Amino acid sequence: MAKERKQHIRSDMGREEFQSAGMFRAWADAIRSGSRRELARAITLVESARPEDVEPAQQLLELLLPYTGGAQRIGISGVPGVGKSTFIETLGKELIADGRKVAVLAVDPSSPLSGGSILGDKTRMVDFARSDAAFIRPSPAGKTPGGVARKTREAILICESAGYDIVLVETVGVGQAEWQVSRMVDFFAVLMLPNAGDSLQGIKRGILEMADAILVNKADGGMREAALHAVNEYQSAMELSESRESGIIIRSCSALDCITVRSCWQELAAALADRKKDNRFDNRRRDQLRHWIRSLAEDSLMQILQDDRNSQKFLEELAAEVDSGNTTPLRAGLAFRKKVVSGLVDQDERNRMPI
Amino acid sequence: MNIKKQPLYTSKDLAARGYEESGPGRYPYSRGPYETMYTRRPWTIRQYAGFSTAQESNAFYRKALKAGQKGLSVAFDLATHRGYDSDHPGVEGDVGKAGVAIDTAEDMIQLFDGIPLDEVSVSMTMNGAVLPVMACFIVAAEEQGVSQEKLAGTIQNDILKEFMVRNTYIYPPAPSMTIVSDIMAYTHRKMPRFNSISVSGYHMQEAGATPLQELAFTIADGLAYLEAARSAGLRVDDAAPRVSFFFALGMDFLTETAKLRAARELWARLVRERFQPENEKSLVLRMHCQTSGWSLTAQDPLNNVIRTTIEALAGVLGGTQSLHTNSYDEALSLPTDRAARIARNTQLILQEEAGLCQTIDPLAGSYAIESLTSDIASGAMEIIREVDALGGMIRAIEQGMPQRRIQESAASRQAAIDSGDEVIVGVNAYRSEEAQEVDVFDVDNKKVLNQQKKKLDHIRSERDPGTVAQALERVTKEALADQQAGRLLEAMVDAARARATVGEMSSALEHVWGRHRAAQTAISGAYRKSFQNKTLFMEIVQEVEAFARREGRRPRMLVVKLGQDGHDRGARIVATAFADIGFDVDLGPLFLTPAEAARQAIENDVHVVGVSTLAGAHKTLIPSLIDELKREGADNIAVVAGGVIPDKDAEWLRKKGVLEIFGPGTRIPEAARRVLGCIAARGAGKGSR
Repeated sequence: MAKERKQHIRSDMGREEFQSAGMFRAWADAIRSGSRRELARAITLVESARPEDVEPAQQLLELLLPYTGGAQRIGISGVPGVGKSTFIETLGKELIADGRKVAVLAVDPSSPLSGGSILGDKTRMVDFARSDAAFIRPSPAGKTPGGVARKTREAILICESAGYDIVLVETVGVGQAEWQVSRMVDFFAVLMLPNAGDSLQGIKRGILEMADAILVNKADGGMREAALHAVNEYQSAMELSESRESGIIIRSCSALDCITVRSCWQELAAALADRKKDNRFDNRRRDQLRHWIRSLAEDSLMQILQDDRNSQKFLEELAAEVDSGNTTPLRAGLAFRKKVVSGLVDQDERNRMPI
Repeated sequence: MNIKKQPLYTSKDLAARGYEESGPGRYPYSRGPYETMYTRRPWTIRQYAGFSTAQESNAFYRKALKAGQKGLSVAFDLATHRGYDSDHPGVEGDVGKAGVAIDTAEDMIQLFDGIPLDEVSVSMTMNGAVLPVMACFIVAAEEQGVSQEKLAGTIQNDILKEFMVRNTYIYPPAPSMTIVSDIMAYTHRKMPRFNSISVSGYHMQEAGATPLQELAFTIADGLAYLEAARSAGLRVDDAAPRVSFFFALGMDFLTETAKLRAARELWARLVRERFQPENEKSLVLRMHCQTSGWSLTAQDPLNNVIRTTIEALAGVLGGTQSLHTNSYDEALSLPTDRAARIARNTQLILQEEAGLCQTIDPLAGSYAIESLTSDIASGAMEIIREVDALGGMIRAIEQGMPQRRIQESAASRQAAIDSGDEVIVGVNAYRSEEAQEVDVFDVDNKKVLNQQKKKLDHIRSERDPGTVAQALERVTKEALADQQAGRLLEAMVDAARARATVGEMSSALEHVWGRHRAAQTAISGAYRKSFQNKTLFMEIVQEVEAFARREGRRPRMLVVKLGQDGHDRGARIVATAFADIGFDVDLGPLFLTPAEAARQAIENDVHVVGVSTLAGAHKTLIPSLIDELKREGADNIAVVAGGVIPDKDAEWLRKKGVLEIFGPGTRIPEAARRVLGCIAARGAGKGSR
């Protein structure tokens, strides 16, 4: 599909567009040769909510696509205060010491009221952020949580093309974003606090079910025992849960202690290596890609319906019918589907469909 | 979280609160720590000062003592606070700026040249590098022939509030507390006239705490220090009598007066209850006060003389033991000689002309004052109970509770002022049309830096390297031993004697403990919630929304402080308020170099960098940030600045490429609008493609 598209662009390319194609090539080259600024700008472009930015973003991505796929993509999630950033700082420094290049994409929540956000991740990763082998980009989740997924996925690809061989995606454990992130990474780790009793109650079981690893953090000082206790609790909770494949890593760690963080990484890397041996790694990526395409298709269909004023109006009318007791919600839903399937509702067909 | 005043107080209010008459110098000491109070000796006029080199500060001190000042209070520069020598690469903009530069005992000797340390009491605001600075001070006295047991004064040594609000810490919390108790142990043994700690609420109020929060958290800090002393093996009667306090005096006159009276009462009650001292002196809270720097305005600066006078009066009627009055020009720069003289005279006039020293605690028995004293004490007690429930102040700070509360108060106060609910004369009401020319004082930072470097080179070549190395090794060894019995300071004194530098002494400990980095967080929602004028607020919100629709993303701003300046009230308020208005705000870590800030701006691809500056280093650090951005080809990223920036510096900075400069008192919606203008000027989204 990418190829077709490219040819299509080429076939009716005017002079101006030709120049801009040259600009995109130069941009892609700059990203690949390590320009931090161009990498950052590319992420801004794919994150843009402006309709006219979609096409250029795809154009740039297509140029980068051949150079993607090489990184280990790791998701790291957990509630605020669990120590995600500290963990990432320690892990990042260890990985860099091993000669790796590490990119961090941090998705921070936006205020539902103002839409604005405060992005403070780097204040917890000062030493790591200073390293030449690190790239850290916090991004606001925006008001619609669904928006995170596409953008982060594309940002991962861009970082890969820039030569980062490990991409860490940090999310705050609030739900929807995690679910999406777990479907774009090779390994999804959830950090937990040691007070298991309380957190097991409050935690969204869903998050645990998508986790490849549960790391009980802050196993240091006076909390060591509580952390071990929590590990036990999670282990028995996971044994009871039948809804997932086995092989989840459950252990304690201290984000402050580089030795335990390194050993976490080794365990995690070993699990990934295992999965690579028997295709589970590739299968997961393929499934994710399918899922991605499907959800993009679904999203765009939804968008079409939402943008179509007549459809929306028809829905309103149906709702009124349901309100007044003339029909049931199920019948109303079926009527809407029928209308959509028979072509989008258009201006002339304003008469009510027989229900 | 503030005290609500009634429109009228009567005798019924006193009865309802169980008011009991007591006397000055008697439990629970609300009427004053001493029986005779100012009738025998007035409070000590103690002006906080220090700038440039030791030599220049020394000249200033001598002049001040001659003009009627009774004690000294030393302000150190930020490099010293953070344990760096003047020639350390991360501090170039800060040397000699907000205080005096001290690198070795030689500087300290020069600082007190001709000032008899057995007669003049010296207060030192030092927390992070407290050990090397105490050591240099002790050596300076030694060389004057004054033995340490004769030294009188106070070392601030209050690390907890540094982690809360002031940010001039060096080591992580646990070893920092070790240092505090080490100094308590040392002074107990060897410096009986010296206050080993000054538990400070001042910086909390400056950071935005209400007087009630200030009082509660300060008393809770004090209790935490007594606990620490107890774990270090000191009896409460060895430690408590040398603990002193330091409060801010804001503009709420009755509340502030009552707060000081309530402080003594609360402390006496809690120390008795929790530590059962035998010595009555352990119950007595003695304090220093300073008028609020935050309440000073850059607009119509002479109004500040009036503000300071009212605040000082609250200190005097509240029964403070010593007092600093701010200079009217301090919202603009360090004080000029003239402004410093007027500030000092304010106190002299209160002492000599106003008759305030003739009657002890004249407000006692007032329906209003006594009711407020009681209400503040019980309000603060409620907060202290919350702190207790979290496991004490150290745990509460680790969990960020006091920090969050203070930030909330600061943001809602800003909103109240921005929306015109709270009037600040000359700022958001009754603005003066005529331009006010005020002289500002400027330290030639480059000159100081060169002098300090030269001096350091000289000392390093003259001293005996073997002795220095040995002394530093012992410091490291004592840190590893972790005894908290005054042995750290003892080892430091030897090192200072051998002319080890403040930087070397600090690193000797850093080898063992590491350097602490605190996460910067900012709360959200508090500004929006408190902004009463919704129409005004929604106007700017809609402008931001329009921007976001047009550009495909929200305006994104990196808020940073550069260099060693940790005063981050302004930065945090801006972060909170801009996010509440709809910006995406990146909050930078403290102590960034210009190159690090530029890199963060580029990686995060922000539209604009906002630099908050209060310590005078802007002329060095901001142009260097702009150069770094240019070097990386990112000159489309706009740079704006806010904080304490004198007009002539503002002009200079504009020439260097700073697009907007926001002085104190700028309303945030107005600032946001101007920032949007800057982004537009730089071509916004279009320019970034």
